[in-house]
Amino acid sequence: MEFAWSQSHLDYRKRVSGFLEKELPADWFETLQKGIATKEQAEFSRDFCPKLADAGLLTPQWPKEYGGEDGEAWEQFILAEEVWRWGEPRGPQYMGVNWIGPTLMRFGTEEQKDIHLKGIASGKLVWSQGFSEPQAGTDLGAMQTKAEWNGQGYTVNGMKLWTSYSEWADWIFLLARTGPERKQISVFLVDMKTPGIQVVPFPGLPEYGHLNEVYFDNVHIPASALLGEEHKGWDIMAFTLNFERVGLPRYIWGLRTLDIAVEQLKAEGRFDDPICRAAAGRIVARFEAATVLTYAVVDERINDIQGTVTPNVQRITAAQACLDLMSFMMDYVPDCLTGGNNFLELFYRGQVASTIAAGAYEIQLDAIAQRGLGMPRGR
Amino acid sequence: MQFQLDENQAAVLAGVQAILQHHQDVPGAHRRGWSYYSMELDEALSRNGYLDIGRTEGMGGVESALVVLEAAKAPVSVEIGASVLVAPHLSATEIPRPICLISGDLMKAQRYLPVARTAIIDTGDDVLVLPVDPANVEAVESIFAYPFGRFKTRPDLAGAQRLGKAAVAPLRQWARVALACEVAGAMRAAIDFTVDYTKQRKMFGSTLAAYQAVHHRLAECHLIAEGVRALALKAAWSGDESEAAWAATYAQMNIQKVLFDTHQFNGGMGVTNEHKLHFWTYRFRALQAEVGGQSGAALDTADLRWGPPGAGAIDRAAVRGAA
Ligand SMILES: Cc1cc2nc3c(=O)[nH]c(=O)nc-3n(C[C@H](O)[C@H](O)[C@H](O)COP(=O)(O)OP(=O)(O)OC[C@H]3O[C@@H](n4cnc5c(N)ncnc54)[C@H](O)[C@@H]3O)c2cc1C
Repeated sequence: MEFAWSQSHLDYRKRVSGFLEKELPADWFETLQKGIATKEQAEFSRDFCPKLADAGLLTPQWPKEYGGEDGEAWEQFILAEEVWRWGEPRGPQYMGVNWIGPTLMRFGTEEQKDIHLKGIASGKLVWSQGFSEPQAGTDLGAMQTKAEWNGQGYTVNGMKLWTSYSEWADWIFLLARTGPERKQISVFLVDMKTPGIQVVPFPGLPEYGHLNEVYFDNVHIPASALLGEEHKGWDIMAFTLNFERVGLPRYIWGLRTLDIAVEQLKAEGRFDDPICRAAAGRIVARFEAATVLTYAVVDERINDIQGTVTPNVQRITAAQACLDLMSFMMDYVPDCLTGGNNFLELFYRGQVASTIAAGAYEIQLDAIAQRGLGMPRGR
Repeated sequence: MQFQLDENQAAVLAGVQAILQHHQDVPGAHRRGWSYYSMELDEALSRNGYLDIGRTEGMGGVESALVVLEAAKAPVSVEIGASVLVAPHLSATEIPRPICLISGDLMKAQRYLPVARTAIIDTGDDVLVLPVDPANVEAVESIFAYPFGRFKTRPDLAGAQRLGKAAVAPLRQWARVALACEVAGAMRAAIDFTVDYTKQRKMFGSTLAAYQAVHHRLAECHLIAEGVRALALKAAWSGDESEAAWAATYAQMNIQKVLFDTHQFNGGMGVTNEHKLHFWTYRFRALQAEVGGQSGAALDTADLRWGPPGAGAIDRAAVRGAA
């Protein structure tokens, strides 16, 4: 056990941070303040990600045969930390890079790989993820959106909800029911321009761009849109979620946001209050716990240690840190939600659903209790 | 970065565990007591060189921290954090142990004082190393699972060795690392003990462990113990003052939660001395206020990250509790 970064990791970090410093435009923070899932950010990412791609920094962890650099997991993670230091200028494109790409490499046909991997690696395409439905969030198996074989391809009918980025997306990674049994679910790669697809955004507490309804009204998709085998969507999902195991380095953005709040408090002459200072110190401790636990997840991945609850432990630790930071903001800088500080509002609204999206808090706790502590299934 | 133990570390851990397996119970006569200081364990660890590990060539912070963390999982107590993690950073020559660390009011009851041969005293602007005269110490009974005692009369500090102001920061830093290791180990043991109990305790036709309300709270305890452990080991490895402050802050701010939940799910049994639980929980409870407590550690975290408070700040000495 030792915690030092190797020279090559330090060099890699320098390469990434140097690139971002040089290439991010002067008005980047203005774009960022519009929100990660906004049109402005999606457009920005289509401009910026090709530059990352040219520098070999968009898909470095992908195998060489798919245009990557065969980079190791630590490098992928260092890259994620550095882009999050700037508020994630890749916008929605992290999804394609981190897990849709690798899933296609594993399950895609040669044709699918050819079209989609090139698209993702170009940095010009935005993907969205169509899993959840009004009646199927945690319980995804309850989904009702159907894809029926029509002799030539599939006809999709139904509706997805909370589909982040779908308003700007070129493609959707769609889960749909292909048979009456609960497990008969399949994955489709669907062009968002296909007639019959309608995206309806609606307002809510999270920043703009996450809360979309996506309607499928007799949408005809070709047979070639099916990923892997029909009815075998769960197997693909299990593989995919494995890639999601290494969580987002939320702590980087959280600590940066806390620094911004402290800067404001100092500027207003309000950071001498020991109660406020101690509260801020405790939030640092929470984020630092999340940091080291996230490193533990990466380490497990590199050592191919599977089935542990470290990813769940890390997720909840990070979520608790975010919640405390949001509460700190409301104690000391509540004007951030009334136009006083866009960065703080961005964090607040970006994290407002962090205990719900991508595996709700209670589901993570169930996993820790059952797999980590060996407790029987709950009642 | 590498989270798996290397061969050396794995060997140290296995060695300590081999000793500790003989100390998993409190001897019968002390079974219903509040605490039990195990001279047998102290001697076994000492004989095998584990208490000198902080001064042993080839052994680093991680090895020392692993020993403290592991020993803290035993229901018996033994002075180890100060000996293994603190003293080697203060003095090149060995300090007679067991060691009692004192900050705040010298005349209040102190952890380990009844067994201590040396007291290391944080006066705020100096560190004093004071030989303890056992005749001047009286034991104090308390519900904490450590031996506590106080000086009968104010000891003569003129005879103490003075390490100087420069020793204050390292003393606090390493005391925090030791504290976090002890909290991590004792929390781990209390959680495991509680999980076992919930698996055995039956009610309404099922075990207590089958209730989701129980799952969720113990899962939260688990992630706290994991976080404290990771921060403590990293702080021991790096020797970084901020990291020590994070580890202590995170440990101390979460003690209430883990103590409440572990006791809660042991029900009425958990508050009797029949049950072993208090031997762990009332150790980490006793650490809640040490080295300035969570406020002191959190304030130091803030100072280290954002600089000290400016003009108009409130006097910190009272908050930190310097002697
Ligand atoms: C901002 C945002 C972005 C999103 N982006 C996407 C996206 O891009 N694509 C997509 O497909 N989905 C997306 N989602 C949807 C998200 O995945 C779901 O919200 C999530 O899976 C939870 O489902 P639900 O909202 O239906 O809550 P429910 O499943 O109804 O859960 C409600 C509550 O009940 C708890 N609960 C559920 N089951 C249990 C149980 N067995 N025991 C105890 N408690 C339980 C949950 O933990 C939760 O607290 C997004 C959601 C949000 C808020």
